[in-house]
Amino acid sequence: MPLCLLLALFSCNPNEKSTEKGIIILKDDLGRTLTLKRKPERVLPLATSMTEMLYAVCDTASIVGRTPNCDYPATVLSKPVVNNYPVDYEAILRLKPDLVFTTEGITPLEVAVRLEELGIPVYYQKYGSVEDVFRGLEDIGKIMNRSQQAKYLTDSLRQQVTKIKERHAGTTKLQTVLAITWKDPIYVYGQNTIFTDKLKILGSQNVVKQVYDQPYPALTRESILQLDPDIFIGGTPEELEKEFFTMYPELRKIKAYRTKRMYDPTGNLMERPGPRVVESLLELEKFLYP
Amino acid sequence: MLLGLQVGSFESDFKVVSEALFNYNSNDTTHFAIMHLRLPRLLLALVVGASLAFAGYLMQAMVNNGLADPYLLGTASGASLGAVIVFFGFVDMVIAGIYMPPVFALFGAFIVTLAAVALGYRKRQLIPSQLILAGIALSSLTTAILGLLTFLSDSEGKLKSVIFWSMGSFERASWDMLPYPAVAVSMALLFFVFYQKQLNILLLGADRAQALGVKVARTRWVILLTVSLVTGFAVASSGSIGFVGLIIPHVTRELMGSTGRWNLLFCAFIGGFFMLLCDLLSRLIYPPAGLPIGIITSFFGVPFFVYLLVRKSYNFKD
Repeated sequence: MPLCLLLALFSCNPNEKSTEKGIIILKDDLGRTLTLKRKPERVLPLATSMTEMLYAVCDTASIVGRTPNCDYPATVLSKPVVNNYPVDYEAILRLKPDLVFTTEGITPLEVAVRLEELGIPVYYQKYGSVEDVFRGLEDIGKIMNRSQQAKYLTDSLRQQVTKIKERHAGTTKLQTVLAITWKDPIYVYGQNTIFTDKLKILGSQNVVKQVYDQPYPALTRESILQLDPDIFIGGTPEELEKEFFTMYPELRKIKAYRTKRMYDPTGNLMERPGPRVVESLLELEKFLYP
Repeated sequence: MLLGLQVGSFESDFKVVSEALFNYNSNDTTHFAIMHLRLPRLLLALVVGASLAFAGYLMQAMVNNGLADPYLLGTASGASLGAVIVFFGFVDMVIAGIYMPPVFALFGAFIVTLAAVALGYRKRQLIPSQLILAGIALSSLTTAILGLLTFLSDSEGKLKSVIFWSMGSFERASWDMLPYPAVAVSMALLFFVFYQKQLNILLLGADRAQALGVKVARTRWVILLTVSLVTGFAVASSGSIGFVGLIIPHVTRELMGSTGRWNLLFCAFIGGFFMLLCDLLSRLIYPPAGLPIGIITSFFGVPFFVYLLVRKSYNFKD
């Protein structure tokens, strides 16, 4: 009976195939094919967001380590630390993970190739929208034999997102938002980031509409003047006055500055795609509709 | 120059640019962008290009070597280290309302240059070969410290700051910042127009220059002080931009002869103009932020220089 259940679970995942000898073949979000000798029982995240994803779905005993920056949930702090920049291959080998989870853009592909040479397959996820994060949670559930837990979680999260969306469904005049990731040079959240999707759910829009090659493009002062956002996300008005507008006094002409609509997001919520994406939406909602 | 004023995020043709210049409307954001963002940027590119080319010319004359450039004494790596110390949070970003990276860059440039001079000073004389070696050693040391800080960096943003600083950018240009490098290079140019004769004699070698009545030791000190000041301000305002200080002096000599009377002014002019062109190209190729300017100066400068070398066998002291 358990075997039947296992096979049934495998068949749920279109990206996963089980061969006769028990070897599992997976396809990750980058389209890479991974071969696992058995169902993974020991997993290691190599990105802070991935740690949050795994903690939300997996049995915590199966998570064998964390990166130096992983700090959520608090219990993760008791796990052994593995350096992810540069990657400490020996530390990873010592922890004997069956599978390493990471996200696109955090772990270079050559690191994955090296780890696979050492017998440790690496599964990449990538997210372009809030829905992608939920799908990511479900994929982890299927791989880790925790589909039910993942489903409960994503159902609840999707319901909350639907409620938030409904609150702003009738918005006619969409507020424009600019969020920065770095002040000198000025780097911003571009069009092809989850941030854009979060704003869409909240009945507003990313002021950066042009699609750049990079998810976080650099902008000039002139282009920001031209975009003239209604809302500026990147710090409290006091911090921004001291560290941003002193440096770029020309930008005091933008609407967000003139109307004092500048907000300081919780860094981890903005930056990490993970199960706390709804918390991030609720925080942004407070900024957009004070 | 006019084309440079037209390129940007706001649509602006020649008519809009001339309106902004001669009939400025402070409520018009396009006018504001032209006068407060594009114009200071163009002028800064001109000034920095002129500063580096001029400082390079002086440095090559002082050490009597065509491979010298304004960064020979570690000025650029010192400036980069100074700025990076601020970016990495060792010092507050803004103190008393002043943005600190350029200030620390200036300090870094002067401290490293002074250290190189101290090491190159023997028996009450500046010895060029020792000076060069001291500069190279100190550059390596500061670059290593810079590398260490970069390696230990905990955020991608900090790395981007380092990249932009080490390859140069005019995006920070403003009317407040412009006077420092502009006044430094103008004063220095004016001074050396009258001092050029000594420079040309110095090219004959220290002994012969001495025999011809040039006070070699004093001349070297004057050059050193000028180069440090002009380069320090240039690097502090726009990061370190390679190539210009090395090659433009050679282009000048190729076109005007080794001892031309107007060489220094011409060198500064060509340097400024070349930098202006590079900035324009960087913004046209990769809008809106522009590629780091150091990449463009090498990409477009090197082929031109190779052409000059091939067209006519050129020698440093011809």
